[in-house]
Amino acid sequence: MKRIVYTAVLAVLVVAGAVTSCKKSDDTANPTSGLDRQPMLINYADNYVIPAYTDMLSKMQELKSAIESFNANPTQEQLQSASNVWRHAYATWQKVDLLEFGPAYDEQLRSYMNTYPVTTPKLENNITSGVWDFEAFGSRDVQGFPALDYLINGTSLDKYTTDQYANARKLYLLEVVDKMIAKLTRINESWYAYKSTFISSTGTDVNSSLSLMVNNFVLYYERYLRGGKIGLPVGAMTGVAKPELVEAYYSQELSKNLLYAALATVKNYYQGVGYNGVQAGESMQSYLRAIGTKDESGTPMADVIVKELDEALNAITNIGTPIADAVQNDRQTVLKAYEEIQDVVALFKVDMVSAFSISITYTDNDGD
Amino acid sequence: MVVKNISLKQRIEQPVYSAALAVFRLFFGLMIFASTIRFWMKGWIEELYIQPNFFFSYYGFEWVKPLGQYTYLLFIVCGISALFFAIGLFYRWASVLLFLSFTYIELMDKTNYLNHYYFVTLVLFLMIWLPAQVNFSVDSIRKPSIRKRFVPLWTVGSIRMMMAIVYVYAGLAKLNSDWLLEAMPLRLWLPANNDMPIIGGLFNHLWVAYFFSWFGAVYDLFIPFFLLNRKARPYAYIAVIVFHLMTAALFPIGVFPFVMIVSALVFFDSEDIDKVLQRVKKRLWPFVPVAEMPTLYTFARFQKKLLQSLFIVFFVVQVLMPWRYLLNEGELFWTEEGYRFSWRVMLMEKMGYAQFVVKDPATGRKVAVNNNDFLTRNQEKMMATQADFMLQYAHHLKEYYQQQGMKNPEVYATVYVAMNGRRSRLYVDTTTDLAKETDTWKHKNWILAFNDNIHGL
Repeated sequence: MKRIVYTAVLAVLVVAGAVTSCKKSDDTANPTSGLDRQPMLINYADNYVIPAYTDMLSKMQELKSAIESFNANPTQEQLQSASNVWRHAYATWQKVDLLEFGPAYDEQLRSYMNTYPVTTPKLENNITSGVWDFEAFGSRDVQGFPALDYLINGTSLDKYTTDQYANARKLYLLEVVDKMIAKLTRINESWYAYKSTFISSTGTDVNSSLSLMVNNFVLYYERYLRGGKIGLPVGAMTGVAKPELVEAYYSQELSKNLLYAALATVKNYYQGVGYNGVQAGESMQSYLRAIGTKDESGTPMADVIVKELDEALNAITNIGTPIADAVQNDRQTVLKAYEEIQDVVALFKVDMVSAFSISITYTDNDGD
Repeated sequence: MVVKNISLKQRIEQPVYSAALAVFRLFFGLMIFASTIRFWMKGWIEELYIQPNFFFSYYGFEWVKPLGQYTYLLFIVCGISALFFAIGLFYRWASVLLFLSFTYIELMDKTNYLNHYYFVTLVLFLMIWLPAQVNFSVDSIRKPSIRKRFVPLWTVGSIRMMMAIVYVYAGLAKLNSDWLLEAMPLRLWLPANNDMPIIGGLFNHLWVAYFFSWFGAVYDLFIPFFLLNRKARPYAYIAVIVFHLMTAALFPIGVFPFVMIVSALVFFDSEDIDKVLQRVKKRLWPFVPVAEMPTLYTFARFQKKLLQSLFIVFFVVQVLMPWRYLLNEGELFWTEEGYRFSWRVMLMEKMGYAQFVVKDPATGRKVAVNNNDFLTRNQEKMMATQADFMLQYAHHLKEYYQQQGMKNPEVYATVYVAMNGRRSRLYVDTTTDLAKETDTWKHKNWILAFNDNIHGL
């Protein structure tokens, strides 16, 4: 009996060795390359996150001076010029929105910058009463880019000139920008200290940098990009179009560009393209490629995701502008784009996160 | 002590030193006590049993629910009875209370199902009936007459048997193509630990994942036999320690590795354990209640008959349980029909994403459900890969929307699941109204096919 057991064990070990050595040929030449997480974290911090917040802050400062000029001299030309600067800043925001981890998470940046739709009666009430508090509960929908959109692109010039609340309105306009600048300034400063924490937390547990970054990236993609920018306006789940929910409601021709810019940003960020648009280094894509999961046809999942993102980008270009009209008059095209975007939700949230084996909770888990 | 050439029936009645059972009782009780404290300290009572407003029940145990703030009381009962159990004070009462409170806790929400909790429940059930208090216990100070130095072999043997079932079935479950031929899921899990000091770098190599997979399978299949073998035992126990410490370092499996390290002591020769106790008494601490007279614990005749029948039924069920999946069609790893209670531990990397939509058939109005409004992240994670969870959740949504005034809510789910590195695919039929489906032991035909093969057990 004993001998049988020992022989069996020996046999198994020999087979194990054989299979192991056969399989080794699949192994890449240098298996360790690409699996280290720190180079990826350093790339994201140095080449994307920090330049992104720096640029966002400078765009907001430009907007502030444009608004100050307008306030000093409220003409149609000045308003138009402020509007142009606002557009640039809003486009830049699409490259920053996906970074809500670390300091931005602590500051709840997104809710201050881009809660839409803006609630105009509440905002108007703030102006006429002359009292507002951007920190107050329930005040997120009267500030940030959507409030600026309304104040710059959805308000006639006389509200800033002859209207009895013109001065309050000018002040409100300025303070909305100031609030955004204050938030961004704090995040900018925090990132210089946070960077060392970020790049040294190389694990995969629930509080590791990779877990925080990826989980918030996926949340952004699902809820704010897919849901906010297209799903809710087209009523993908409900079947009822809600054009009033589009981003940039008062400059509707912009919504589609913002959606496209946001999705293009997701693709670049996933691929490790730096903030300046130049391929910079290790990324979620290169890490996923190193892990090596593949689809049924043998294509690395790392590349499947890019392919599906490209299809989604393509589908967006087919949508007619503005989205607010298309969700009512050309629903099929919008829904098609939504489906393409939706396909990537599963790829990010399930395939990528699963391959990364990052935890979402602290509780014990014996792996099912 | 064991004499050869006698019938099995006589053999299981052979006396062995009760010290083996007593020491097991002490360590096992202390482990549960520590585990209860740990659970409390981590805030999990609040997080897992008080904060959620919905709980996933086990089939047939829908009446077992957390008790609000009294849930703390339940854990206090569990902790204190574990302590009493460990030191052998009011042992019968303590063991019954411990079994009931521990099991109740485990039944409150199947989100928190862990194989090792199930293992603890089963061992506690056995321990209720075993004379683990006759040595090295406070009870034997209170009533020195109960002190016995020997117990029949089958008492200690049944604990060993339980341990062996766990290991061997855990090993058998690993005999599949994903584990052995693809090194899945370890090839995903090991690189996630590549920042561990010293050995971390090893985990970037694929051959290490293969080595761990094969070693794990061989270890599980054979370790009980090596532990039973007198010569191999010391090496086997070192292997137990190394193996379980390794898993403790790599995976978030809580106290399980330590429970197993401690429990494996039951395989040691009872005579050696007795010697240790005698030495403790003589050299260190003469007050220790250690049985010295060569007395044997005997069961009353009918009691023994009853217990042995009970244990036989128990073990037959245990041996058959892991095979019940064969009654269902579909890939076990995909459907998980018959997956639990079968010692399938650390076998799969599975992740899902579930979007539920509730439809009012009267108006055609549809609502997209935000899972975070109803479930914790942990519950959502478990729900998104397991069909029985999806079904319960769908029924919960139905009830919720009925209370909101919807007449006959229909509940549909779009679920994507990825398993062991395969690309995610649709998991349930998106056109099935889950509110109309009921949970049964039969295959749920609204689970879509897996479209791949995993060979083996």
